[in-house]
Amino acid sequence: MNRIRGAAFAATTAAALLLAGCSGGGPGETDPTNVNPEGEIEAREISWLLSRPADGGVITTIEQIAADYAAEHPGFSLNLISTPDRPSYIQRLETLAAANELPELFDIDATPFAATLAEQGRMMDAEALLTDLGLYEDYRPAALNYQRFDDGSLHMIPFEFQVELFWYNTALLDGAGVQVPETLDDFPQLCRGLREAGITPIALDGQDQWPLERYMAYYPFRTSGNDFVRDLKRGEAQLDSEDGRAAVEWMASLGEAECFGEGFSSTGYADAQAAFTSGRAAVYNIGTWELANLATENLNAEVRDDVDYFTLPSTPGAVTGADEYVSPSGIGMAVNAATYDPLVRDFLAFALERYPALYAETGALSPTTTVETTIPDNATELYERAVAEADSVGELSAMPWDTQLDPTSNSRLQQELTLLVQGEITPEEFIATMDTTIAEHGTAAFE
Amino acid sequence: MLPHRSRTAVLVFLLPPLLLYGIAVLVPIVQSLVLSFFSWDGITAMEFVGLDNYVRMLTRDDIFWTAFVNSLGYLAICLILQLGGALVVASLLIGLRRGRELVKTLYLLPAVISTVAIAFLFQRMYALEPVGLFNQALAAIGLDGLQRAWLSDVGTVLAAVSIPEGWRFTGLYMLIIYAALIAVPAELEEAARLDGASRWQLFTKIRFPYIRPVWITTTIMATTYALRGFDIPYLLTNGGPGQASELVTTYMYKTAFSHTDYGYASTISVFIVIECLVAVGLIIMLLRRRADA
Amino acid sequence: MSARRQRLDVHRALNTVAVALIVIVQVYPLAWLFLTALRTEQDFASSNPFSLPGEVTLDNFARAFETGNLGLNILNSLAVTMGANVLIVLLGMMAAYALEVLGFRLRGAVRAIFLVGIIVPVQIALVPLFIDYASVGLLDTHASMIVPLAGFALPMSIYLFSAFYHYIPGETYEAASLDGAGPYRIFGQITFPLSLNTIVTIVLVNSIFIWNDFIFANTFVLSDGLKTIPLGLQNYIGAMGNVDWTATFAAVCVTITPLMLVFLVLNKAMIQGLESGAAKG
Repeated sequence: MNRIRGAAFAATTAAALLLAGCSGGGPGETDPTNVNPEGEIEAREISWLLSRPADGGVITTIEQIAADYAAEHPGFSLNLISTPDRPSYIQRLETLAAANELPELFDIDATPFAATLAEQGRMMDAEALLTDLGLYEDYRPAALNYQRFDDGSLHMIPFEFQVELFWYNTALLDGAGVQVPETLDDFPQLCRGLREAGITPIALDGQDQWPLERYMAYYPFRTSGNDFVRDLKRGEAQLDSEDGRAAVEWMASLGEAECFGEGFSSTGYADAQAAFTSGRAAVYNIGTWELANLATENLNAEVRDDVDYFTLPSTPGAVTGADEYVSPSGIGMAVNAATYDPLVRDFLAFALERYPALYAETGALSPTTTVETTIPDNATELYERAVAEADSVGELSAMPWDTQLDPTSNSRLQQELTLLVQGEITPEEFIATMDTTIAEHGTAAFE
Repeated sequence: MLPHRSRTAVLVFLLPPLLLYGIAVLVPIVQSLVLSFFSWDGITAMEFVGLDNYVRMLTRDDIFWTAFVNSLGYLAICLILQLGGALVVASLLIGLRRGRELVKTLYLLPAVISTVAIAFLFQRMYALEPVGLFNQALAAIGLDGLQRAWLSDVGTVLAAVSIPEGWRFTGLYMLIIYAALIAVPAELEEAARLDGASRWQLFTKIRFPYIRPVWITTTIMATTYALRGFDIPYLLTNGGPGQASELVTTYMYKTAFSHTDYGYASTISVFIVIECLVAVGLIIMLLRRRADA
Repeated sequence: MSARRQRLDVHRALNTVAVALIVIVQVYPLAWLFLTALRTEQDFASSNPFSLPGEVTLDNFARAFETGNLGLNILNSLAVTMGANVLIVLLGMMAAYALEVLGFRLRGAVRAIFLVGIIVPVQIALVPLFIDYASVGLLDTHASMIVPLAGFALPMSIYLFSAFYHYIPGETYEAASLDGAGPYRIFGQITFPLSLNTIVTIVLVNSIFIWNDFIFANTFVLSDGLKTIPLGLQNYIGAMGNVDWTATFAAVCVTITPLMLVFLVLNKAMIQGLESGAAKG
């Protein structure tokens, strides 16, 4: 018996010690605004933990730049660790942060979790860094604004720029005798018309949750900009209010009009896109990262000439302009303050200066205004138009709610939204559940 | 027991396994217990909250209870498919004159496929758009009216995520039950047949009582594996739509790794451990009863 | 008599048909997997996914090897699977030997402690293990995956070995003891050789789980050089959740093939091991 008791005691002690060892998780002695530290540049391996497609434009461009830098600085190498699947990535990032094991560079959205890291001084001040490198003015204001925390501070550097558009099939709309919606309130009418003609109105990747959550953000963004979600997430505004109710009822009306494909909640990204590109669905809301599939000859020839787009419609009495909608600059890159040194600075200076031109050559939109996007040879006329649309987008970007709410409230919102749109719960029930959840978790998260 | 055993020998053989088991299983359980009294997001200082996490779980968290009920449903469906299916197939196999070995091998194959691949596969089979196998089959037999997106319907999703789990391991249990069935003495069956017993009576009166001990072992295995179920619901629906296919295990995982609520996640872990201890108690009771019988 | 004969024949035929149907249900998914890997992307996206491929292509396999690092992933999975299996078998035999053959006063308690591990879900170990690994520098190593995979599989291994050792007659040991063999020699010369069938069974059953493990690998491994197959499959997920399905299925085919070959070669031994272990209850 003694042996067992002894073992149990040892285990408990060990557990307590280990927990105590990492509960600090605290800031180092580093100063996040000291962007130009003294010292020699000593070449070594640095790592960037990122969440971007392995063969995408960002990674291929950065790899090329890192190779050039390594040629000048023997001993340097950049280890790119990518986890494209976002939920797996976030899990990995959060556990690494808990263990104080974050690498030199890491991708992160402007979430409450990131704000906590910034508060603890674990991420370099990106505004100070970019200013010091003389690059701050090059960036599109909308691209930087997307990365900012609520207090206006900037701790992440964007590597892309996108606008999210409503792509639609003109032939299907004409065939059903319906028009492009002028206001958000026209959506249910559009859907009913398309349904009557036997067409799936809107292709939606419900499996990944964020696409449906975008729709939730639209109505409040038009009626009160980003202020509504900023207050809502703290429990300072309720869904049980004029703005909130309007948004919830609009979502319910989309569900009632059967706007989304049947079984949307289990439809994946590829299937939703295929529904649109094969001419089965009439509308598809997606960002310019899909230009290569929607505005080039890669697109199915049967629908290629029928595809067009419209931007986020407005509402009566809207406070945001027609040129303001979701214009994300993707997940941002944070610079770890604890491992920041002359080498990291020097590499960033080298990389950020060369990046825009090389990246724009891949046909993508640079987060800066300094370069012009190369239109691919096989592009349709739509490609150039979409790029121009992005270049003229307003400075205020509609914030996606999934980066705003605390994670517990966010996953509840995603679950309840699906139920609301499927007609399983009423708007009243939705409002009650969400206001209670945010009151418990949102209030605590943003103290 | 060996006559020449010694204390040292016992320790030499027992300590290494206990050490590994302690590091991988026991210490984490104890750590979870400690963490369950704290509120911790991983990056700010831990805050002692006493029993608040437990109060939250038992009184304020409706998702937890939904998940608990779902887990029981998941367990029931898995057991029916795995044990019922195994028994039926094993009985059929006995009636087969040739090819038994081939059937056994083929039947075990699904167990080799990774859950990631199984999730991809069933997602396609359940889909309505593009129309998947299940809905095609319904249309083929004239039941178009029953077509639906099985993973989006709150009424069918729990069964839909349980079926793949039940399906992939039926082969394993079938083998075990088959082995027990062929061990039933032929004289017993022949005697009963001469007494005019029907096939059904033959099964309920002779075969089943004979394989009952094996049946109980199999039930224990299947139950414990179903209580651990995680991958397939997590990958197929991530608990949705709403909370209709959320299990306690998936909820715990999400609480820890997407809500960064490590303290509360540990509280749910402790609940799972207790739930399992209760199951162990039931298993031991069953084993005793079997020994007595 | 002939009527009864006829009824028996009908019965037999129905029986065979039923077995055939069930086998199709079991094997169909694998066939589908391999067929999909041979489809063109357009074929997969547009046509009925359950028909035969319109045209057969090997492009998916080319893309699968180009995008990912399948060879390295397979090597890592091999290393983890073998490492964990060695621990599971060796430590499982040792514990079962101590519990069943040597025997000691507290063995009931020890057995109960191990029983807990049979049913505790692996997820509970994730957070604590991550913290522990970080503090001792074990994160991002093969060992970080092997330890929990072996630890959680150990109880079932002990259970199966114990069930088997229980049926080795006491006289076998007594004879050896009279010859002056100590517990170590008996373990090496009698118990271990007798356990071979059980070892094959345990290795095969555990390999299935370990080869496909996603949760520990995803939590504890970071660098590309250590990624196992389930993590490698993630390379096929593109921006915002887009998936190159046909290349993914090609990769899945490549990665399950080694396990399937081993399984097909050794399945007789495994089936025997399961059947003999189980028939005793």
